[in-house]
Amino acid sequence: MSSKFYDGQLGFLALVNAMVIVASLFLVGPKFVGLYSMQSMATQVSELGLLALGVMLAMAAGRGGIDLSGIALANLSGVIAFNLAPQFATAADAPMLYCWVFAAISIIVGILGGAINGTLVGYAGLTPIIATLGTQMLFTGIAVGLTGGSALRLGYIPPLDDFANLPVMGVPISFALFLGVAFALAIVLRYTKYGMRLFLLGSNDVAARYAGIPVRRMYFITYTIAGMLASVAGIIIAARTSSVKWDYGTSYVMVAILIAVMAGVRPEGGYGRVICVVISACALQLMSSLFNFMHLSNFFRDCAWGLLLLLFLAASKVDLSMYLRFRTPVRPGRA
Amino acid sequence: MGHSKLLLAGVSALAMVCIGLPAAAADKEIVTVVKVTGENWFTRMAEGVDKYGADTDGITARQVGPAKADAAQQTAIIQDLIAQDVDAITIVPMDPSALEGVLRRAMKRGIVITTHEADNLQNTQVDMEAFDNHEFGAHFAEQIVECMGEEGQWTSFVGSLGSLTHVQWADGGEEYAAKFPGMELVSPKNESFNDANRAYEIAKEILRTYPDIKGFQGGSAIDVIGIGRAVEEAGLEDRTCVIGLGLPKDTGPYLETGAVDSIAFWDPLDAGYVMNILTKMTVTGEEIKDGMDLGVQGYNNVKVSAGPGEGIIVRGQAWVDVDAANYKEYPF
Repeated sequence: MSSKFYDGQLGFLALVNAMVIVASLFLVGPKFVGLYSMQSMATQVSELGLLALGVMLAMAAGRGGIDLSGIALANLSGVIAFNLAPQFATAADAPMLYCWVFAAISIIVGILGGAINGTLVGYAGLTPIIATLGTQMLFTGIAVGLTGGSALRLGYIPPLDDFANLPVMGVPISFALFLGVAFALAIVLRYTKYGMRLFLLGSNDVAARYAGIPVRRMYFITYTIAGMLASVAGIIIAARTSSVKWDYGTSYVMVAILIAVMAGVRPEGGYGRVICVVISACALQLMSSLFNFMHLSNFFRDCAWGLLLLLFLAASKVDLSMYLRFRTPVRPGRA
Repeated sequence: MGHSKLLLAGVSALAMVCIGLPAAAADKEIVTVVKVTGENWFTRMAEGVDKYGADTDGITARQVGPAKADAAQQTAIIQDLIAQDVDAITIVPMDPSALEGVLRRAMKRGIVITTHEADNLQNTQVDMEAFDNHEFGAHFAEQIVECMGEEGQWTSFVGSLGSLTHVQWADGGEEYAAKFPGMELVSPKNESFNDANRAYEIAKEILRTYPDIKGFQGGSAIDVIGIGRAVEEAGLEDRTCVIGLGLPKDTGPYLETGAVDSIAFWDPLDAGYVMNILTKMTVTGEEIKDGMDLGVQGYNNVKVSAGPGEGIIVRGQAWVDVDAANYKEYPF
């Protein structure tokens, strides 16, 4: 009954999505599942989803892996790109070129920032939660210093605005980018030597070292990729808000962790699936928007998230997978 | 894994069904989006929004806001409101520039957008400001001049030189006081960086440098608290005039001792009410004219000017002066 692709977690997450949608039909009517509403949710989920993928990588690498610096790095890459991009192209004369330069600089900053994390965790051997908390403050500090604390306006740049919001064949471009990045990451994790080593490393880093896996380099690469993912989120944020600011999305840190944990990523390392993270992010977005549609207080949502996080952490400690194989109905996986 | 999670999912679905949703009739729905929920300031604004909803037929008015002051959360709320096709959204932006894109699309979908405290925002139809910032500054200076007997040294504070409104208040005060030859402005626009302790340190320094100083104009809402503390320690409550922006609850103790003479602010209750009036007028296509009386104290003769975008800016004269006698009437 179980294929290599399908597993209980995937089925469960798909079920949550389906249930939220069905519940929404009863609670708020068909407007919730309308095209515009779906597109709106899709544009919202991209930046969070990318940060969650970074958290997943860090967690899967083990040794208490986590990346708290994601959103800070995302904002910093936007801020630095904002400051440097006009050296190469101006938004007024060559908007398209400006956007590409902006994106390129962001990603370079993301890679550099990720490499700092990777060096601290991999080569200096620091505990990830401490190291990334430190870099989170460092990145935030630099961003505040560069902006003086206020938002810098990009203004209305048509290609950038289209990227953030324009749907192509019904799918917002930023969401398509998120899916594309996720797909590429999934392929890397499943079919490359790096992917195989990552999960082995996460399962047992001592054994991995004796097996000849270059442990330090693995951590370095993993946190660097997480930094790069954060910078892609930074580009989407800059495009969506047409501005850059140091404190945008400060509430994302916890939500990104929740998405990863809900997706069944093992906080101890060694397991995590990209597709589950994507579907988990969608589920959380659906719930979040549904709460808004239902006029529920935003404090209720924070409370619900905290509860979900604790429940899923508890659930991950109980292994009923044997049981699950016979019980869960087979559902087609959603991508 | 499976059982506990299925159970959890079932319970949460059931919870959602139980909470339900009050069905709105064919009323026009105006939603007020604030910076953050749970702060006294915006709790008071919600009273104004509710009052407007109760006073007005054919309008459902409600207020929402994020649990944390995060521009990302505010943007998400607005996006979901757009998807719900509400008739109008009136916003106190966390960060005006972060909302331009979202608001542009909302207006394209035919949703009326109005704002408050965002006179630099382009994508809004009406921006409501409680007062003209220069006039507000002049209003402080007027009281200071009178209190000082039209002569002596005085100074002004700002949160930071980057806070445009604070600088405008200081400039407005300076311009007004310049009309009185006896008034000597010393070391103007001290930056407190929105920190009461810093305001206190600066005020102490100023009292040392200018022992005869008689007037202080506060900028950020906590400046008067810091200045008041320094004045109190120096025992100069009766000789000095400390007047500026402040919140009644925080400044109360200093008003009692006379260290702070008077504070002014705009009442968020009225602001919420007026935002909804202007929004409804925009929804129904009524023209908002210069000099109009909106029927709320302080908004009896509004000034209308062109905004930075397509929209207009509407300004009242809605400052509220509060001193030791009446600060208790304002619970924030």
